[in-house]
Amino acid sequence: MESLFLQQVLNGLIVGSVYCLIAIGLTMIFGVMRISNFAHGDFSMLGAYFAIYFVLFLSGWAGWVGSLVVAAVGVGLIGFFVERFLFRPLLTRWTDIDIIMLSIGLFILLENGARLFFGATPEMIPDPFQSKTINFLLFSTSEIRLICLLFSCIAIFLLQLFLTKTKTGVAIRATSQNRNAAALMGINISFIYSLTFVVGSALAGLGGVLYGTIFAVFPMMGAMPTLKAFAVTILGGMGNIRGAVFGGFILGVAETLGGNYVSMQYKNAIGFVIVILVLLVIPQGLFGGWEKKWG
Amino acid sequence: MILLEGKNLTKRFGGLLAVKDVDFALQSDEILGLIGPNGAGKTTLVNLITGYYPPNAGVILYRGKAISGLKPHAINNMGIARTFQIVRIFHKLTVLDNVRSGLVDRRTRPSWKVALDSLVKNRENQVTGRLGEERAIQLLEFVGLAAYRHELADNLPYAYCKRLEIARALATQPKILLLDEPSAGLNPKEQNDQIAIIKSISGRGITILIIEHVMKVIMDISHRIMVLHYGEKIAEGTPEEIYKNEKVVQAYLGGEAGAHN
Amino acid sequence: MNRKPLKSLFIILGILIVLALPLIIRDRYFQHLLVLSGIFILLTSSWNLLAGYSGLLNLGHAAFFGIGGYSSALLALKLNLSPWVGLPLGGAIASLFGILLGIPSFRLTGPYLAITTIGFCEILRLVAMNWVSLTRGSLGLYGIPPLTPLNFSTNFSIKFVSEQNAYYVILIFVSLTLILLNRLVHSEFGISLKSIREDELGSQSIGIDTSRYKLTVFMISAFLAGFAGSFYAHYVRLISPEMMGLSETFNILTMVMVGGLGTLFGPVVGAILLTFLSEGLRFLEDFVKIDIRFVIYGGLLMATILFMRNGIVGLFKEVAKPKESNGR
Repeated sequence: MESLFLQQVLNGLIVGSVYCLIAIGLTMIFGVMRISNFAHGDFSMLGAYFAIYFVLFLSGWAGWVGSLVVAAVGVGLIGFFVERFLFRPLLTRWTDIDIIMLSIGLFILLENGARLFFGATPEMIPDPFQSKTINFLLFSTSEIRLICLLFSCIAIFLLQLFLTKTKTGVAIRATSQNRNAAALMGINISFIYSLTFVVGSALAGLGGVLYGTIFAVFPMMGAMPTLKAFAVTILGGMGNIRGAVFGGFILGVAETLGGNYVSMQYKNAIGFVIVILVLLVIPQGLFGGWEKKWG
Repeated sequence: MILLEGKNLTKRFGGLLAVKDVDFALQSDEILGLIGPNGAGKTTLVNLITGYYPPNAGVILYRGKAISGLKPHAINNMGIARTFQIVRIFHKLTVLDNVRSGLVDRRTRPSWKVALDSLVKNRENQVTGRLGEERAIQLLEFVGLAAYRHELADNLPYAYCKRLEIARALATQPKILLLDEPSAGLNPKEQNDQIAIIKSISGRGITILIIEHVMKVIMDISHRIMVLHYGEKIAEGTPEEIYKNEKVVQAYLGGEAGAHN
Repeated sequence: MNRKPLKSLFIILGILIVLALPLIIRDRYFQHLLVLSGIFILLTSSWNLLAGYSGLLNLGHAAFFGIGGYSSALLALKLNLSPWVGLPLGGAIASLFGILLGIPSFRLTGPYLAITTIGFCEILRLVAMNWVSLTRGSLGLYGIPPLTPLNFSTNFSIKFVSEQNAYYVILIFVSLTLILLNRLVHSEFGISLKSIREDELGSQSIGIDTSRYKLTVFMISAFLAGFAGSFYAHYVRLISPEMMGLSETFNILTMVMVGGLGTLFGPVVGAILLTFLSEGLRFLEDFVKIDIRFVIYGGLLMATILFMRNGIVGLFKEVAKPKESNGR
């Protein structure tokens, strides 16, 4: 049925927009610092939990918006310390493997620490619009989901502005392309590293709030978004933000359509299948990344 | 006798034409120098010969047999070895093990056979044992690194790393050795040592193709020199001929061809 | 010169203790932990072969474990195949899947290879979860036959249901594996693997067909992990798709890093230490009423990378290193 198909596409875009936010954070961090952070999804989880606790203070949609701010700031702050004291010391010392291992350790720590702290029961971020459904054209969806989509798009747009129009944003892109040249141009690499990690983590935190709004919040929720974020960044080319945006929406739609028309149970596998196919055929991702994976 | 030759070699990277219709011939027992300004396509040519990527056009013949399109390891197994512009030694292995790795006989055995032999044969009979150690030390003595054999390759100063790479390449018992800027980054004394080593290698019957920017080195040791510029061969001849060649002088921004470095 | 006899004495003593252990400490739970340690030693050693010696970051190792387990269990349950045959057969089937995970490693490295291998593992786990007619889905397989008894005469037979007897079986396999791995890593094959780890292009330039070598080592590693999985299936006699979960791989990885990546005994130390630590922490949990086991795991892994990069064995080697001779 046509409207059902389009409905699914809309759902896919909504979920995809959340993937975009999380993946952009990951790809930025990789692009600038060459860090593959396997704990990235856990920053989303932390953001979601920030929201859960914040809306206890402030309800309604002021609370929801406020929780986004709190999540971004809170996770950003955590990201700052993680980068400064965990990853930074490693950057000059060791290899790829060490950074990945460290982030896996962080992942294990955060996930299980969260289970300890918050309990394993899933929770919901309350819908400030009381699940009001909107029907327009051929679609029918809840208001809050549309708001999530809108928010993601605005965030992506603002980020693009930041990266292209501000001096700091351009500095970030420069460092991503050529660290040494950027340093020679007088860019404070240390500052850029911190900023990139903070922004990337904050984006993950925001994505976590949206994810928690659409689905649910539980301590183990970080694993899937991490892997999907990696899938998206590989799809779009690691370090390539535009690629991450395209990849995020593509994955969201592919998952939703695949889940509905092919198989619900293997829905989560779709991302991996895409990654494997893409990497085997076009190792640098659809849009090409900075990283040379071979040769 | 022509040992290695290339005809009409062309290599394109996206829009960039790195090597354009290049012919070359390497005579056995000679030292052929390959020079040209940066970006002239010299390393690309070596990469084509050693199979790191296939040419877009043209053929490479080794002893009359076409080898273009073969993979790097196969080309080494046929008797062509190389060093790299930026040295690619095995950092976390000892100097001795770097060379020993080159000594492993991979010419006659596929990977699974090597694995099987590893389980079945005694350590003594493998290069990781006594036999290999002696042969490796000989090669290290040849390049003057025998005293450092138990050092981690990581700890060696740069000049020694380059020599280690040469020793490792020699361990594969090549008929042809392709050297990519073996003197880059070396001080004059080290350059002289390098010249001596390369001449020794030639003296042992190994044919050499050497890419170099250091004019002192290339003029001294080459029997013939080939010049590339923007991917094309613009001159070929003896060092004296090249020294005086107008086109070559022009290519190096007028008059620099005979100067130091 | 008077170090050697002392060293031999320690080794002999060690071997005797290892042989007599389950006879000295008769607690069944302790013996169970010993068997688990043995299984993990096979898993950690095989993973270390890939990551430590060959530089291949395989984060889908649990897939081999699970495939070995499920293959052997299904063959025993459905075709009445003897578990003793199932052990190497499970390994062989896992080895075929080793090819599947090995092929991406030809061109991919680092995070790309990591994600691809995780992807393969997750897909296989989902298959195990959803192909209910074959695997009973998340319920898993139960009632898996134990290793069939060895009958020596009408009166004397050795059964393998008890932890103690299982310990001796796994001890034999672990010893065999360690001996073979020791030969392998110090051999021409081993040095080729290490070369690939250090510099792939450089390796190719000295005649190493890196793709083939990677494939071969993936198959060997997968066989060992699959073998471990088969043994596990016939020992605990109940398996579920969680065997192929990400946390299983992360478990193995933590053991190797803490023990010492790229060494022969690192995986052994790590496997034994963390198996016992994990259980020890479980007792603490009864005390303190919260499950901090994995939090400590995570912290341990991070601490190892930051402060003790070469693991316990690496630390040992540092301490045992003879004093520096005067310069180079």
